Amino acid sequence: MKTTITNTLRKLSRRNEPYIFLVLMLLCVLIEIRSGQFFSSNNLVDIASALVVPGLFAIGAFMVIISGGIDVSFPALASLSVYATTKFLLDMNYQGGVWLAILIALALGAILGAFNGLFIGYFRLPALIVTLGSSSVFKGVMQGALNSKQLTIIPIGMKDFGTSSLFIARNPVSGLTSRMPVAIIAFLVVLFLVYFMMRYTMFGRGIYGIGGSETSAHRAGFGVRNTKFIMYVMVGMIASLAGVMRVCMMQQAHPTNMLGMEMNIIAGVVLGGTAITGGRGTLLGCMLGTLLIVIVENSLILIGVPTSWKSVFTGLLIIIGTGVSAYQVSHMNRVRSAKTPAKEVVA
Amino acid sequence: MAECLLKAVDIYKSFVGVQALKNVSFEIHPGEIHCLAGENGSGKSTLIKIISGVYSPDSGYMEFGGKNYEKITPIDAIQSGIQVIYQDFSIFPNLTVMENLAFNSELADRRKFVNWKRMRQIATEAIAKINFEVDLDALVGSLTVAEKQMIAISRALMFNTKLIIMDEPTTSLTKREVGNLFNIILKLKERGIAILFVSHKLNEVFEISEQFTILRSGELVATGNTSDLDSNKFSYYMTGREFQKKTFIPQHVSEEPIFQAKGIGMQGAFQDVSFDLRKGEIIGITGLLDSGRTELALSMFGIRPIDVGTFLVNGKEVKLSNPQVAMGNKIGYVPEDRLSEGLFLTQSIADNIVISEIDSLANKIGVLDHMSRSAEIERWVKELAIGTPNPDNACQTLSGGNQQRVVLAKWLALNLDILILNGPTVGVDIGSKHDIHEILQKLAEKGLALLIISDDLPEVLENCSRILVMKSGRIVADLDAAQTDEKTILSYMM
Amino acid sequence: MKKLMILMVIVLMVVPMVFAAGQAEKKTGYEIVVVPKDASNPWFVRMKVGVDEYAKATGLNVYQKGTAQIDATLQAQLIQDLIAQGVDALCVVPVDLESLEPVLAQAKKAGIVVITHEGSALENVDYDIEAFSNAGYGAFIMDNLAEAMNYEGVYTTMVASLTNGSHNEWADAGVAHQKEAYPKMQLLAAEKRIESFDNGDVAYNGAKELFKKYPNLKGIMGTSSYDAPGVARAIEELGLIGKAFTSGTGMPLDNAALLESGVVKSLTLWDPALAGKAMIALAVQVLDGKKIEGVVDLGVDGYTNMKFKPGSKTVLEGEGWIVINAKNVYDFGF
Repeated sequence: MKTTITNTLRKLSRRNEPYIFLVLMLLCVLIEIRSGQFFSSNNLVDIASALVVPGLFAIGAFMVIISGGIDVSFPALASLSVYATTKFLLDMNYQGGVWLAILIALALGAILGAFNGLFIGYFRLPALIVTLGSSSVFKGVMQGALNSKQLTIIPIGMKDFGTSSLFIARNPVSGLTSRMPVAIIAFLVVLFLVYFMMRYTMFGRGIYGIGGSETSAHRAGFGVRNTKFIMYVMVGMIASLAGVMRVCMMQQAHPTNMLGMEMNIIAGVVLGGTAITGGRGTLLGCMLGTLLIVIVENSLILIGVPTSWKSVFTGLLIIIGTGVSAYQVSHMNRVRSAKTPAKEVVA
Repeated sequence: MAECLLKAVDIYKSFVGVQALKNVSFEIHPGEIHCLAGENGSGKSTLIKIISGVYSPDSGYMEFGGKNYEKITPIDAIQSGIQVIYQDFSIFPNLTVMENLAFNSELADRRKFVNWKRMRQIATEAIAKINFEVDLDALVGSLTVAEKQMIAISRALMFNTKLIIMDEPTTSLTKREVGNLFNIILKLKERGIAILFVSHKLNEVFEISEQFTILRSGELVATGNTSDLDSNKFSYYMTGREFQKKTFIPQHVSEEPIFQAKGIGMQGAFQDVSFDLRKGEIIGITGLLDSGRTELALSMFGIRPIDVGTFLVNGKEVKLSNPQVAMGNKIGYVPEDRLSEGLFLTQSIADNIVISEIDSLANKIGVLDHMSRSAEIERWVKELAIGTPNPDNACQTLSGGNQQRVVLAKWLALNLDILILNGPTVGVDIGSKHDIHEILQKLAEKGLALLIISDDLPEVLENCSRILVMKSGRIVADLDAAQTDEKTILSYMM
Repeated sequence: MKKLMILMVIVLMVVPMVFAAGQAEKKTGYEIVVVPKDASNPWFVRMKVGVDEYAKATGLNVYQKGTAQIDATLQAQLIQDLIAQGVDALCVVPVDLESLEPVLAQAKKAGIVVITHEGSALENVDYDIEAFSNAGYGAFIMDNLAEAMNYEGVYTTMVASLTNGSHNEWADAGVAHQKEAYPKMQLLAAEKRIESFDNGDVAYNGAKELFKKYPNLKGIMGTSSYDAPGVARAIEELGLIGKAFTSGTGMPLDNAALLESGVVKSLTLWDPALAGKAMIALAVQVLDGKKIEGVVDLGVDGYTNMKFKPGSKTVLEGEGWIVINAKNVYDFGF
């Protein structure tokens, strides 16, 4: 019994999640000590609400990184599809619910994702180059063809969805209230679906397999091209959904203010223990890493750090976080090389 | 003998003008250990890929289990019981042993969802077949090479396998691991499974195989019983050349040592090591893996500086604290594999010659001086008689021997005095090995001082004039190569 | 496959040219380019309206060209491109003063007339136009905030970035004015100024944090056009309507709902279309060789009585500010 416990502990210590969780808890406690506000109900709701959009983006980025690729185009992709959707609905003076916006954005996201998937999956071009390029193309279409500007008025369905809440948390001391946005359901549903897919479908395991070794995946019988293509389509759809949530929650469609989010999102995913080289990482870790970034970004005033130090803080966090995982990897390698030759095998 | 398991008849295959296989026919019988040998580029891998259905032959046909195939698809091949274990073992280092074992059969069954319980069961059964014990939840990346190989073998056995093709399976295995592998191969044979064992290592071919097939430049040069083969024939079939053993006798050894080590030591690696090295001679350093031989080599190139003692170059004391200092003293270091892999095959011969001295060919403002580049290239092509109509051709157009001459030019162009080589022929096929030895001897004749670190005793005996044997960090013997033999050296090593 | 890829690359290269072709209309006279902070902010979309009107009225080759995103580096690159293009005058609304200084110096060296707006601290310019004195406008925003706060309570200030020229001057002036005129109000000592990066979401999240951390915080003085609307969203969500207040720059129609619902009592601004016109008018006067001294009349509403800022030879200040509230929000047409 004892050995199983130590075994479990040893296995846990080799994973990233416990460390990230520890850092996360320490940070939360620090914020609580400095502000007395962190664990208040309304602040927790605020954090959850701030997690929706980065969380959705992170799920997509996670899938791509696991497959051994990288996607820097998702903010541009999301901006383009949600902007086009919003503008289209405004032009047709749409008065119905948010579902149509979501459907159109998902369809657009699938098309734009297919664009990435085509080049990366079928033409085997490097993902970084393709997504850097497609990111420019998406921005260009938005600025050029759609002549984008900030839309301060959004369709009523989207507006209502953005302000509707599951419940409202009220801080009994300060009397401040925070809405738990309905959008969080979208996030949770996607999170669950992707979790299930990555763990319990051969498609999901194929993504892991491709990230580990594309040649082996091909030889084992995974449809490498199709898997990649479909995955980028899915990522495009998830990113677009994130875009719709963002616009609804912000009550306005700004064409560019999601751009630049990719760095912190990818950082969060890597921070959560996903190997940037692909193949290794869990969705749980990915979410913890993203949560860490979101909390740091949204709590510096609570801690009392001047906002101009924000980027220094996130930067440090990323260096420390990735440093820890890099250290672990090299440590594991050392253990491996020190290991005695293979066990005797008697056939 | 029983009927054929696999019969390949008159196989031809070419790729864009290059004839990869010409008229190849051979047979494999059930339960037979068959060795497929040949130098790099001889068509071994093309043949494997044709048998496993990755390529289809231009003409010819195959018979597998009594069935005729003009071409076989990968799925046909698997269903007829052919499994290939590639050199990289086709594993997923990032996934668990369980998944690595179960994926193939799950995918073959066209499963869409993962049933972890079933996967565990599949994996448990798979490793049980060869009594292989391993933690199913361990990541494959954390296993040793031999364990990875066992996984590949277990996986290959999951299907109704009749023939397992192993592509150079002993590369990067230790001697003991090779022994284990051979045991397993023998057990598989007992079960009636045939093994096609691809190798270019002489001793392995003799140790394990019953039948052999040797390819050279896409043609089958010999096939038959291994017992009819001897090492001279083997070398000849492989390379088409006759080799006579040529023991190196240094011609012009300088009076004064160019390099001296005096009582040098490094914490935890070696201590109290002294020796002299003269221009024109080749010294061998041999010993077991943990004898400190590698550390000694690294210290001489300044990669791992010594703690005590002194180095003298041309009689002057130097502190070899980093590779830059060593290079400044005209010392060069060639790590394992570098001699055989040191060429950019797709680049031109000319570029390959000048790549290492590119800095010295630049004019004052750092731009490559084309005049001196051409002069340099012409000089080496002539001096070493590199057989090419045009040095701007790609390196891969050269024959093996000429490629080695290009490598030689590369090192000579650096104008070194001392060259340290660590395992110069590890994993190199016979022909290239011979060529490399010739190069080394020529380098010495041209006045270089060479130091070879190797545990390949015939190599050391053939090429070195003196042999230093290391054991537990000390030099335990300083032998004259002409006066000693393998047995003596071994007795000092152990 | 290779052919297909080459085809794709060609298509990718040709498409932008087709888009670009539409812009290559030829006009005569001076070539004057207005470079705003970015192209999508409604503020600068409105400025473009003025610029286009001016071009139509005078027939000069005058146009506005902005970068896709607010980014100091991109803006500098754009200006360098325009210098290389050999335009006659540049009218710039700078993103970041310090990083733009050397680029503007290049422009001047190349003989290009440089007029800026909201960049009074810049050195390498011919003239900088301010719709009003920054001190005057800062005090004006403060008056509005003070009125909303009933002249008492703790407040803080929000700017796009701490390196932004005018925003910080307004905020400084607002604070100075408060000390003089509203003794019962108090600047939040722990967080005197926070940044919104011209992003409504950042302003919203920042405001939420401020109100949580400092329960007695009663007002936020915004400067960027994203500040007050973002803060207002936080006030509304936190249930602080009527308890916390904000004021600052904002566009009328975009904020109509906020003003009408009473979350924000009043916003202040000047008309960017007029500011754009004024910059060009000044550039034309400089190019024509007119002496700029004393009281300058640019022939644009609010910019007819411009005076040099005391102690400055480059900064011209007008009287172009306006208040918008629930009553007049629809009167401006933008």
